[in-house]
Amino acid sequence: MIGRPRQPVRRHRDGFVLDLDADERHLLRRLLGEVRDLVTTAPIGDAKMQRLFPPAYTDDAEGEADYQRLMREELVASRLASIEVVDSILREDDARVMTSAEVDAFAQNLNAVRLILGTLLNVGEDDDDSESPEFALYQFLSWLVDCAITALMRS
Amino acid sequence: MLVDVDCVTPVAVTASTIVKPESDTATDVRPDNPWVVLVWNDPINLMSYVTYVLQKLFGYSLEKATELMLDVHHKGRAVVSAGSREKAEMDVFRLHEHGLWATMQKDGSDGDAS
Repeated sequence: MIGRPRQPVRRHRDGFVLDLDADERHLLRRLLGEVRDLVTTAPIGDAKMQRLFPPAYTDDAEGEADYQRLMREELVASRLASIEVVDSILREDDARVMTSAEVDAFAQNLNAVRLILGTLLNVGEDDDDSESPEFALYQFLSWLVDCAITALMRS
Repeated sequence: MLVDVDCVTPVAVTASTIVKPESDTATDVRPDNPWVVLVWNDPINLMSYVTYVLQKLFGYSLEKATELMLDVHHKGRAVVSAGSREKAEMDVFRLHEHGLWATMQKDGSDGDAS
């Protein structure tokens, strides 16, 4: 790439600034809306959701049943609250200064999209020269997550 | 979608091994083995993201978190925390909130702790 590299998540004097255009914000809000729907409606055991609801116990069926009974609802509630934080950021204009907690939620939930998309795409260790639009989207999300984490770790 | 690469090209991480469990607190004097929390390698989570989450959730230094992340990546998994069953369950929950592939088990229960 020629020219100044783009920085979608930048440090700012009072926090962080998100530099995404309207189309990108719209896209991310739509994806997060899909995650929200899936988290609330996908049946337990849905393969594409396995990375958002992984087992806690692999060698203890009873412990695993207890964990799912006690924690799954909390995991869903936590995810929905966190998506709402990000959605409210994406609804606003570029000038809004974000806290580190908001950037954290941004990374966490775009990563949730990646976990579902990556599962559907069957992303492996070595593929990844696919040129499908879905894979391009996956890479775009990867880039955004990495930029958010880079900004957080520099702070 | 145009991907304009600026931040380091993302690299996927997968899982790891074996940190000596930290003794949890002085009050945890139960004689049985503690529980350990493992993070497993996966092809989706980014190395930077995993390192960040380990720092954030467990207060590890960048060096320590990076070492654990690399263990996950190269060895397939790493023990990232240890303690009572309740503590391990909460740690697993927080890792699941962040999308990491975490499980818990009794320390030494799979006989592979090196």
